[in-house]
Amino acid sequence: MKPKRIAELAVLCAVSLIIFIVELQIPNPFPVPGIKLGLANVITVYAVYHYKPYEVVMLVAVRILLASVFSGNAAALIYSFSGSVLCLLGMLLLKRVIDEKHLWLSSVFGAVLHNTGQMAAALIMLQTPSLIIYYPFLLVSGCLAGAFTGLAAQLVSARLKKIIK
Amino acid sequence: MKYKIITLTAVAILLAGIAGSVFVLTSKGGSTVVITQNDAVIREINLDLAPDETFDVEYGGSKNTIEIKNGKIRVKSAQCPDKTCVHMGWLSSAAMPIVCLPNHLVIKFADTADGIDALSE
Repeated sequence: MKPKRIAELAVLCAVSLIIFIVELQIPNPFPVPGIKLGLANVITVYAVYHYKPYEVVMLVAVRILLASVFSGNAAALIYSFSGSVLCLLGMLLLKRVIDEKHLWLSSVFGAVLHNTGQMAAALIMLQTPSLIIYYPFLLVSGCLAGAFTGLAAQLVSARLKKIIK
Repeated sequence: MKYKIITLTAVAILLAGIAGSVFVLTSKGGSTVVITQNDAVIREINLDLAPDETFDVEYGGSKNTIEIKNGKIRVKSAQCPDKTCVHMGWLSSAAMPIVCLPNHLVIKFADTADGIDALSE
């Protein structure tokens, strides 16, 4: 891997961590665990469409680890990890079907898959089947947040084209 | 054409989510509440008879303060980082247990033979 490539990934990772920390400061109006905007995923969605799969996996792995260190919420690591694995798998496959002009659609599915992964992890960890009750809320929030972050990523992509070749 | 199908799938997921949410929010719970930690029942409380009280539940050095008042129950304060359980307020629906993921704590209405918990199992 070229140094320039590594530097780009490092910058993207730093940017997404900054977004993550800023978002942490915004109070969440929804009392259901797992529901949030996930603005840091703007970078993830962008990276999926502009970098090789293994580069994206590296970027997201570092992001998740550092994010859990910065937020001091190590318990959330297992949930964001399982969510991200499913989300990345899905999006890297969807990338072949959905072109960059429809990035937001791909992002919606990514967000829903992320929530599905979190749900699965919570079900396994807590062994409480009635947690599945949260799933409909996660689906709705996933669709909305995914569309939003996807649209944001499209804007980012259009602007970054002038900087990163 | 391809994108029509993909978009419709996304819309279908959204609608299913909305329908599910409405279904969940409209179902009601009974009067017996169970507090569990790591799947082990700590306390069972009949909210209709319970006196007002507050008590602490601990997990690995992290505390949740639970309050019972006027036949309702909530997590009053918590030492976990996200405080989601506190923001959930009073327990109101059988479908929406109060959950503190960091402390492995679940407060919910007791399972009844019918109703939503029967569906989820």
